[in-house]
Amino acid sequence: MPTNMPTDVPGGSAGDAAGDAPDGAADAEACAYTSYDDGEAPEEYPKTGAGATGVEADVWDALYEVEDPEMPVSVVDLGLIYDVAVDGEGHCEIEMTLTYTGCPARDMLTNDVRCAAETPPGVEAAEVRLRYSPEWTVAMVTDAGLEALREFGLSV
Amino acid sequence: MSGPEEPPAAASLDRDDLTPEQQVALEELLFRLADDEFVHAERLTEWQIFAPTIESDLALANVAQDEFGHARLWYDLLQELGYSEDECIWRRSADDWTHATLVERPFADDGWGDAVVRTYLYDVAERIRLEALVDTSYAPLADRVGKALAEEEYHREHALSWLERLASDEDAHERLQAAVDDLFPHALSLWYPSERGDAIRAAGFRREPVAAMREEWLDTVVPTLEGYGLVVPEPDEVARPEVRGRDGSHTDAWFDLREAFTATHREVDFDRPARLRGEEA
Repeated sequence: MPTNMPTDVPGGSAGDAAGDAPDGAADAEACAYTSYDDGEAPEEYPKTGAGATGVEADVWDALYEVEDPEMPVSVVDLGLIYDVAVDGEGHCEIEMTLTYTGCPARDMLTNDVRCAAETPPGVEAAEVRLRYSPEWTVAMVTDAGLEALREFGLSV
Repeated sequence: MSGPEEPPAAASLDRDDLTPEQQVALEELLFRLADDEFVHAERLTEWQIFAPTIESDLALANVAQDEFGHARLWYDLLQELGYSEDECIWRRSADDWTHATLVERPFADDGWGDAVVRTYLYDVAERIRLEALVDTSYAPLADRVGKALAEEEYHREHALSWLERLASDEDAHERLQAAVDDLFPHALSLWYPSERGDAIRAAGFRREPVAAMREEWLDTVVPTLEGYGLVVPEPDEVARPEVRGRDGSHTDAWFDLREAFTATHREVDFDRPARLRGEEA
């Protein structure tokens, strides 16, 4: 997932009130960005497919199998999937985002997501649309995602 | 209906809502944004092994990656309007490109001051241009502006921190001054008035006229540079380059640069890019 920054997030400089920043916030002089803390995710995010039913639930399950190319975390747990909708004809539309606009794995990720979405019975074809609002932040990573990232060695 | 009308509301227009005239105006706006970002990024990549520290090698490479990302945001929207990537970039005629001449200028051999001044002038302009698009009527554009704006913040910080460092050294200060003298007239080409400016604003694609954005930019960059003891040319009196950039006329350096960055594409000579695993399977 690496966001394209030493550590991400405008306005997320050290020492604000959210409390989940790792230690070290005090010596922020050399580097203005010492924490991934970026406040709160917008309401309704991250989307995790909780409450989805039928074919849509199957698509969410399939998307949990798609991992970020650089670390073993699913794109759903990273908070990248913004919407899944399957119509009566079996046409699946997925909306997703990227951690940063210059992501060099864009085509690979959207392709992996599309292919996964076409695996459940009941999906004839899937289409992926990129969206950049709301802007992705680390706050959109699910608890399971955070745990996986920590296990991988990231300080989040 | 006649008489003045309010421009359409924020994010109220989609591709299928556009009149042909509106689409032409929108395309001009998008090409200016995308071309600036793409060409700026191409030049920045030239620094990758030449910047003064490994950290700045990485920082400029990183900025370039962001700018390529932003170029892709805007070229994507053009592709949704019917252009191919080839038509937008690889096989587009050199004199159809509408970037400002600022971003095509080659760097001098010792041009680190040039890189710092250039990125500063450019990044302040980019912020002002993106802020004028936050309430754009074109919904697909509105979706993308915030993301690009947030990423830009680091670029300005980087440029400003280097400006400050170089300005405090006598020798480096001279180089900064040389860069300002050289680049400022080209930076003014960022604000070359748009032929379709009225149509762009009538459609609500952008809320600010170019002249107002130019004023805001001058009000920001001139005092900042002067604050570092640099002399900024008088914008309305300084000799301007004959070529304008925005109208497709460019300095010679552009034609060489374009030859270079399209060379691999031409050599490979593929009709369409190779696809990734399973794609279009």
